[in-house]
Amino acid sequence: MLVEHCYECHSAKAKKLKGGLTLDSKAGWQKGGDSGTPVIVPGKPDEGLFLRYVRHLEPDMEMPPKKPKLPDALIADFATWIKAGAVDPRDQATVEVKRADKSWWSLQPLAKDFKYPDIDGFIDARLAEQKLARRAPAKPQALIRRLTYDLTGLPPSQPEVDAFVAAHQADARQATEALVDRLLASPRYGEHWGRHWLDVVRFGESNGFERNFVIDDLYPFRDYVIRSLNDDKPFDQFMREHLAGDVLGKFDPSVEIGSAFLVAGPYDDVGNQDAVAKKVIRSATLDDMVTATGSAFLGLTINCARCHHHKFDPIPTEDYYRIRSAFEGVVHGRRPLATKEQTQAYNASMGPLNKERAQVVAEQETLTKAIETKAKAVLATRKYPRPKADTLLTEEIIKPTEARFVKLTMSATSANPKSGDGGRISEFEIWTDEATPRNVALASHGSKAEGVKGITAEDFPMAYSAALTIDGDEGAQWYIGTPAELVITLPRVEKIGRLGYRTAKGRVLRDNSQGATPCEYEMFVSLDGKEWQKVADSYDREAWSPAHAFERVRKEVTTPDEAKQLGLLSRQLAEVDRRIAAVPKLPSAWIGNHQAKPEPTFVQKGGDPTKPAGQVVPSSLAVLDLVTKPYALKADAGEGDRRLALANWITQDNPITARVLANRLWHYHFGTGLVDTPSDFGFMGSKPTHPELLNFLARRLVKHGWKLKAVHREIVLSQTYLQSADFDESAARVDKDARLLWRFPPRRLGAEEIRDTLLATAGQLKLEPMGGPGFRLYRYLANNVSTYIPLDAPGPETYRRSVYHQNARASVVDILNDFDLPDIAFAAPKRANTTSPLQALTLLNNGFTLDMAKAFAARLDGPDPVTQAYSIALQRPPTSTERAAAEKLLALHGKPAFCRALLNSNALIFIE
Amino acid sequence: MSDSLELTRRRFLGQMTTGMTGLALSRLLMSDLGAAMPPGAHFAPKAKQVLQIFCPGAASHIDLWDHKPLLEKYDGTPLPGPVEVTFQGKNGNLMKSPWAFKPAGKSGKMISSNLPHMAQHVDDIAFIHSMTSRSNTHGPGCVAMNTCFTREGYPSGGAWISHALGSLNQNLPTYVSVQDVRGEPPNGKANWGNGFLPARHQGVSMAAQQALRNLDRPAGISSAEDEATREFLRATNLEHAEAHTGNDELRARIAAYELAAKMQLAAPEVSDLSREPEHVHALYGTKDANPLKAAYAKNCLLTRRFLEQGVRYVSLYCASRASGVDGLLNWDAHRTLKADYDRHCPVFDQPTAALLSDLKQRGMLDDVLIIWCTEFGRMPTHQVGTTGRDHNPDAYTTWMMGAGVKGGVSYGATDDFGRRSVTDVATCYDFYATVLHLLGLDHEKLTYYHNGVNRRFTDVHGHVIKPVLA
Repeated sequence: MLVEHCYECHSAKAKKLKGGLTLDSKAGWQKGGDSGTPVIVPGKPDEGLFLRYVRHLEPDMEMPPKKPKLPDALIADFATWIKAGAVDPRDQATVEVKRADKSWWSLQPLAKDFKYPDIDGFIDARLAEQKLARRAPAKPQALIRRLTYDLTGLPPSQPEVDAFVAAHQADARQATEALVDRLLASPRYGEHWGRHWLDVVRFGESNGFERNFVIDDLYPFRDYVIRSLNDDKPFDQFMREHLAGDVLGKFDPSVEIGSAFLVAGPYDDVGNQDAVAKKVIRSATLDDMVTATGSAFLGLTINCARCHHHKFDPIPTEDYYRIRSAFEGVVHGRRPLATKEQTQAYNASMGPLNKERAQVVAEQETLTKAIETKAKAVLATRKYPRPKADTLLTEEIIKPTEARFVKLTMSATSANPKSGDGGRISEFEIWTDEATPRNVALASHGSKAEGVKGITAEDFPMAYSAALTIDGDEGAQWYIGTPAELVITLPRVEKIGRLGYRTAKGRVLRDNSQGATPCEYEMFVSLDGKEWQKVADSYDREAWSPAHAFERVRKEVTTPDEAKQLGLLSRQLAEVDRRIAAVPKLPSAWIGNHQAKPEPTFVQKGGDPTKPAGQVVPSSLAVLDLVTKPYALKADAGEGDRRLALANWITQDNPITARVLANRLWHYHFGTGLVDTPSDFGFMGSKPTHPELLNFLARRLVKHGWKLKAVHREIVLSQTYLQSADFDESAARVDKDARLLWRFPPRRLGAEEIRDTLLATAGQLKLEPMGGPGFRLYRYLANNVSTYIPLDAPGPETYRRSVYHQNARASVVDILNDFDLPDIAFAAPKRANTTSPLQALTLLNNGFTLDMAKAFAARLDGPDPVTQAYSIALQRPPTSTERAAAEKLLALHGKPAFCRALLNSNALIFIE
Repeated sequence: MSDSLELTRRRFLGQMTTGMTGLALSRLLMSDLGAAMPPGAHFAPKAKQVLQIFCPGAASHIDLWDHKPLLEKYDGTPLPGPVEVTFQGKNGNLMKSPWAFKPAGKSGKMISSNLPHMAQHVDDIAFIHSMTSRSNTHGPGCVAMNTCFTREGYPSGGAWISHALGSLNQNLPTYVSVQDVRGEPPNGKANWGNGFLPARHQGVSMAAQQALRNLDRPAGISSAEDEATREFLRATNLEHAEAHTGNDELRARIAAYELAAKMQLAAPEVSDLSREPEHVHALYGTKDANPLKAAYAKNCLLTRRFLEQGVRYVSLYCASRASGVDGLLNWDAHRTLKADYDRHCPVFDQPTAALLSDLKQRGMLDDVLIIWCTEFGRMPTHQVGTTGRDHNPDAYTTWMMGAGVKGGVSYGATDDFGRRSVTDVATCYDFYATVLHLLGLDHEKLTYYHNGVNRRFTDVHGHVIKPVLA
């Protein structure tokens, strides 16, 4: 019966396992499904869920589903079998677990007692199981390169290597400890390990999506990360600040900035008018925060429970929305980031100035009103016989005139009575005076149009240009700049009788959304482009608006006294504005804004924001309620309280947080974590190679008060870390990737390390300023949306450490992206490590390499440039093969060629 | 350390002895050398290569491909139902297409008279008229039409196929993105990104107006110097690799440099359009007086040359991003549909039709699957105060042609006015399930682990659209 009716959904071979229940083994029904209780209780047919479902006693849970009830006789046989003790011979059947439950390894408390006192004990025990053993200690030359790159991301210098090698010979242990302490104390440590953390928290400096605008004031978060690591700030506090720094450290910018974490991800700012789309966008924006929080701190893919219960981990969809409700009031954006004193001082300076300004403005308005009243009286006597300018066509019929040049000057547009700038023209027409008039303005006729454009699209010169006024196409427009003047040059003298311009595209609608039309203008013609003759103007046309009419008579009704007074006031205003501008602005940063009363949070059916189900309150993940202290706030809990509660829950006695962090440290030190999916400790992630060691490290981390430097020290001073990277054929046959650490796994440098190494080798790396606004390896173009164009030869202003590069989303910058700097659409808990011909092309041909090669060559001033070059680049003498190859290249093509080659060599970017 | 494919390859490499030559490695790195059944395929493929033609800006289905007689009849009257507020705001009455539709080909398919050249191909095309999108915004929409996710960061079609099937050539990228002279499409590089797949699967930008980045030997460096540099690298890297056995990456990098050198020879050659005879240039319109058309025509011709040389996946863009200059840069006709498409159709029509004819005449449609994409459709109504149409994610048209595709077919349908897809409603998931199927791939089996999920190109959706299969 089970095979026929149940296995389809409840067996190891089920295409989709339902309810987490397997019935193809005794262990399966003993364990039960999602309910967590045995579905069959031997001897008691009425107790287990199995028979209740099959007997159709539970509404909505009739089994088999969507099929007629099983025959009564069959059910009775089953009841008899259960009553008889449910003897099930299928003990041997393997229960292939298809999902995790609360017994999952990563959700358990941290062990307290350990078999071994240190890291090496755990490693050696696993090696011994496989009949493997650690390699001999690494040679000091290799070791100092390994340690310096690992802890600072930079190469050591030759003197540093020499000193270490000498000290190592005297006392290896002491020398190594001293080296590690020196490196951990270096500010370069925070820059390198800060960069790791920025990967984990999906830090990127543009908003992504369609517009992808660059964000210029998020860098303080990057500096905060670097500073915190250098200061060895306890990491639990650091994480709390990520979620609620603004609450914990109100008016303390160095703490508040932490919460920029929440808004450091991509978000859609396109300004959608569609109501449903708006909700979807808001949901996606909050989803980014939930995802980032779950993966960075907890190593849990909470986000997989957005549309349904997590398919693999015991996270119900309610849990997703419980976490989301912590962020319900967070909105992307910038705000002042200042101390209380700064804020008070700023307000104190600005208060009187604002008052003074308001006073001047009020006086101006009073005076202007008086002038306006006089103007109205004058205007009542004026007649403007012709209709006003027209967005479709403003046309002048003139006395037939010979002309080779036509000029249009504009002094007002429909949007601005005082200036012609900012208007738009789609076509300008010049019609001949003949039986069948021809439009001789057209470019196809050989004419040219000149005029300044008000905006530019750098990568598309034709856009917005005056040439668009004579292309015969009423679609695209010229955006009028300063001076507001258009000159059309005809290929030959023509007799013209009619001329005019159009703003609206097409000839259908008078639509302001197509831009302002020029409405005050003069038109001139000329035979030589020097002597101009006026042929038309707008001054007898009806004024566009009362404001435009006022502008026409303003001068004549203003008395000299009034003019003097107005002049005085505008000078006063300028003076106040100057003083206002002189008050230092409060520093501000992209740190997000917070709504005092967040919207209530509902479970969304299928992740669809238009289908709200039950309301949830801000609370902890139920999945961890056995190993943490759960919390649940009221539905209307304060915005900051929600994030603070979550922050505390994540960082206080939460075993998974410590495990995840300990594993990250291991991952960056050895290239692979004990769990090699560092942000996924769930069912789909990997299981630890050394579970006890992971517990041990997590304990050590907590014991050290969440200070990373102490844990780094324990790891890099272990014999496991200090062993050589030498290959061993037989060990590799057992453990190819050295996951068990029978050797130190060699690695290629990361993207930033490679670029920084090139700079350092060339003697060009500028370590100061540490922090501040980032540099760019791209040209940034903004025209409604953003375009990032990689630079061919970045200048010396970019010769800073790569962590200070302003990494924009969906931008590609040669060396960094070629060497696997991830796109920061998502967090990147581990980086890819690829080899491609594009890397070779970049490193051989990009202007950056050439500049570095030249600078490197200039350093080779000694009698033996080959030795000197190897000493600078690799801190060792060349081998005989290297010397022969180098000398040949040097002799034929000179130092820069040799340096370019050396910068491309494998030895430079692989460490062991 | 990295992805599963990498691991598989590394394991494979690990079983080989260390005497592997650069060439053999380069094959592993780039190519499967066109085996009948490519190693990654799940079953025998119908197509080996993909040409994707993408018209960004939401090219209007009802003004190009999807004829709606009732829209003509009810022009100027309200769309039944309440007035809708869509992406940019309120909608006005129904607005018929400014261009008449005409029957074309043996199938008598009705197509806009603004596409006279494309009309010649309707008997080879399978139209999918019932597409729907999850986004009404260009950026996410374009990204979804390339990656099946509205959020950026997922691999694009070309990247997935590069990952699954590898390269067909020895010296050119597997996946090339040919961008319009007017710039990048909405959301730029996310459209041809590798997402979470390894970087080597990303689309490489090359176009007639834009050479492969860093390809050229720098000015001031002679070819003799370059050759001497490579010789230095060969000698020293080989010694280094021999001294560091058990690190396959070292040899892979040596091979990568050899490959780069081959690319430096091959890429300029494939990009050299002067090798084409005059009549071919005339067919495409590469010397047209309209600079936009001439530029796109050159890219069409370049695309054919890429496909000839075995580039696996080419994405060819006709138009670019959303912009203040609407109507000029892409198909986003919010305000003046007629003026805008009178600009775009002539740019698109002849060169695209020429490319299709050229591929057909050379017998390349046996291998090349052609897909035409845009991110969503447009409203049958006009936007209040304009003669343009707003975004419409509920209905749009895409089409397929070439290897494995049945021609002269129209699959699915929109309602009477083209407002919504109603018959055989289709999605990007179905579209790409079909594309993968034609390439011998089961869209449910092609997966890659990322941040907690075995990700599929088609997310958790998608059905192969069988009626368009030959």
